[in-house]
Amino acid sequence: MFTIALPTGRVMEDALELLRCAGLPVKNLQDCGRNLVIEEEDCRYVLAKPMDVPLYAHYGIADLALAGSDVLWESGASLVELADTGRGKCRLAIAGPEGLAERFLGHESEIMGLRIATKYPRIADAHFSARGILIEIVHLHGSIELAPRLGMSDCILDIVQTGGTLRANKLVVIDEIAPVSLRLVASRKSAQLKWERIHEIVERIREGVEGR
Amino acid sequence: MSRLPRGCHNIGGDQAMVMERCRKAFLSRFSSFGYRPFQPAGLQLLDVAWNHLPGSLRSRIIPVNSSHGEPCCLRPDLTLAAVAYLASHHAPHERPLRLCYADKVFRASQRPEKDVEHFQIGAELLGWDGEGADSEIIYLLLCTMEALDIKDYTIVLGDVKLIQEALKGLGAGLASALAGALQEGAYETYRSIIQRSDIPVARRDILLALPGLKGGREVLKKARNLPGDPLPLDGLEGIVNTLEKLGFGTHIRLDLGMARELDYYSGPLFEVYVEKTGQTLGGGGRYDGLLSSYGMVGQAVGFALDLEKLASVSPKAGDGKPLLMAWSGGLPPAKALSLAQELTGLGIALELNWHSSRRTSIELARLRGYRWWADLAAEKVTNLDDEREMPLEMLSREGA
Repeated sequence: MFTIALPTGRVMEDALELLRCAGLPVKNLQDCGRNLVIEEEDCRYVLAKPMDVPLYAHYGIADLALAGSDVLWESGASLVELADTGRGKCRLAIAGPEGLAERFLGHESEIMGLRIATKYPRIADAHFSARGILIEIVHLHGSIELAPRLGMSDCILDIVQTGGTLRANKLVVIDEIAPVSLRLVASRKSAQLKWERIHEIVERIREGVEGR
Repeated sequence: MSRLPRGCHNIGGDQAMVMERCRKAFLSRFSSFGYRPFQPAGLQLLDVAWNHLPGSLRSRIIPVNSSHGEPCCLRPDLTLAAVAYLASHHAPHERPLRLCYADKVFRASQRPEKDVEHFQIGAELLGWDGEGADSEIIYLLLCTMEALDIKDYTIVLGDVKLIQEALKGLGAGLASALAGALQEGAYETYRSIIQRSDIPVARRDILLALPGLKGGREVLKKARNLPGDPLPLDGLEGIVNTLEKLGFGTHIRLDLGMARELDYYSGPLFEVYVEKTGQTLGGGGRYDGLLSSYGMVGQAVGFALDLEKLASVSPKAGDGKPLLMAWSGGLPPAKALSLAQELTGLGIALELNWHSSRRTSIELARLRGYRWWADLAAEKVTNLDDEREMPLEMLSREGA
């Protein structure tokens, strides 16, 4: 059985298209209802929260996974990154009230001790530590944009797609950290033991991505 | 409050028994080939560890101060200790030296994993200048996997010389970025660095092909057919030929893009995988550079496997659990112990029970999962599955 971990939520449609493009069976996956483990032919799909997907491959439960580069970075999972699918594109950015942007342009001392709300505490810590800036992290699991508005934090570190949610909460992008997209990754074990099959899938997805 | 520090854990019960069986099988196999047991110090000087370890391990050192005020660290690596021992305890004419060990290393946890202590088994062959050392150590490792009855293991072989050759002359920054991407398994990043760089076409083709050269012996042929200067494949092919002749062909795969601590390894290298775990059980290879950093000339090859992971994939049967519980039945300790000694002399491992109540003793035997319960005073043994009773001498006659 060849197991692929997939993220539930907004990128599921992209994932389905990529699997189709790779020639993998997706009929049962399209009509999966509330099932979280779906089998079809010799494939098994595991549907998981986006943040958990990398761990299924890290621990060898899944041979392959589709996961955002943001969650791959945050999880720290030891995986083989095979392809950037170019889907699910957005940015990891720091956003805050307009007045805060000037402080980011000044000396590090201007933002020392800043309070940042995020669902990516490790990325936030790594990003600011690299600049020698000590911050206070407020770890939230959703509706991050509310935090500055309600006085819980000075700014946020989150993914930004169109910027609509930021604008609705009177926030602007202050600093862009990294582009984000859906990546195809493999467990370290499967990249060795099932490489022939993985390689075929990677090539098909790559052809699909480059041919778009 | 009896909890342990985060990242540490006690191991007991069946798991400890399986680990002990694996440890014994490993040490026995290597000892029979002249590898001497090595017991390294638990603390190492911080500056020594810092100066000799590869970057990826430096960042995981756990520093402590010794009670003498010396800056130390909890032993982060056993190979380093083995090489330091060789450098300070053995004159050049005593080499090569073969060492094997089963001990703990301590490393800051690396997310998403939490453990800071790892029980490793490993072996080092230090100071041999001729051929055969790589094959010897890999062969013995494979024999150990067979002895532990682990069926689905695969050893993946590579050679850092291939990557070094492909990166030669590229410029330090570019070579380092490509090596780093390969080591992290960031193939997409690796590809995009190559595509953005101004690398001659033939070299570019080799570099792009390397991570995909995974599989059976056919990848050697594919590598030989690549354009440009030939890659140094003979050493690796020699090891594959040897292991195939020794009957391990079905357990071997190759990964010509394998990059494992490029600043540490200097030749053939390998990793061991099994179906049940996502990460490698461990690995090793040639690390001549470490030897030279201690002022010694010659080859050094070794490996380490995670004993806990190894035990988790090793069959549980025959793990040394005693056969029966032997109840003293009110006998004086000297008499009960003599009878127990007689039984163990016949190869029957047992656990003594001194409880005054026969019923409690039987209940305890059931709780512990024993099939047999013996009443030493009555010299009878009961099969706890079907309550059948028979004279103890019958079990003694049949032995374990």
